Amino acid sequence: MAERLDGGTSKDESFARDAIPCMDDVYRFALSLTRDPADAQDIVQETYLRAYRSWHTFVPGSDCRRWLFTICRNAFLRSRQQTRLEVEAIDGDAESIAAAREHGAMIADGTDRLLSTVDLGPALDRALAGLDEPFRSAVQLVDVEDQSYEAAAEILGVPIGTVRSRLFRARRQMQQHLRAHAIDAGFQSVAEGGRE
Amino acid sequence: MSQGSKMPDEVREIDCLSAVRQLWDYLDEELDDQRMVEIRHHLLTCKECLPHAEFGRRFIQALSRARERHVMPPAVRAQVMSALAQSGFSPE
Repeated sequence: MAERLDGGTSKDESFARDAIPCMDDVYRFALSLTRDPADAQDIVQETYLRAYRSWHTFVPGSDCRRWLFTICRNAFLRSRQQTRLEVEAIDGDAESIAAAREHGAMIADGTDRLLSTVDLGPALDRALAGLDEPFRSAVQLVDVEDQSYEAAAEILGVPIGTVRSRLFRARRQMQQHLRAHAIDAGFQSVAEGGRE
Repeated sequence: MSQGSKMPDEVREIDCLSAVRQLWDYLDEELDDQRMVEIRHHLLTCKECLPHAEFGRRFIQALSRARERHVMPPAVRAQVMSALAQSGFSPE
């Protein structure tokens, strides 16, 4: 007979209802961590097997994606035999100011128009993949998976301020990548041509 | 607080540096109500800062669309489901 949990729902029924629909999200996060589809598959499988075994610890009604992301992150760290990815101290406020400065440069050379005129998907994917950990995880969780700073901090096991500073640095680095992409795509020359 | 909510009568003026420093927090809606109002008020009245906010919003929106671009390959999903079944998972 199936194990019963809250309200007469079986373990398998509630796992199928709450955890299985998050698999795309967990896969994306695993892929952002590993940058390798085969490794991502291993991490997702490990995540779901662990989640299934530990399903009795999941609090019904709480954020299942957050719970799975945390398991996924831990599975990744175990696979790399790391307990913590170290990063130098970053000033989030200074990164915000630098991002505005970077955007100012994009306005000046016309490359900011790229964001509103072409499909940025491929360029953004390359920019995101090009980020080093732990910056990539911060962007993946907050910008792609729509997690709050607080949720991302819990998943990554770091203070909220660390998520914030990593996120802001990562966004600035991605802006720089987009600007380079725009110049390669000829946006700068169009803008400069208009001033000539 | 949502960015579309009503502005209170008295809003503390902030300078551009303060607004830009908190711009990402504002766009992520991670500030408290008072700061959200202050920055929104600044952006409504500052021609210098508004383009930065609009750019930041477009940037974040473009990034969020990565969710639509990247879905799990069916073969990978099948593999994970098979492993779960071997562990006893049976949703039927």
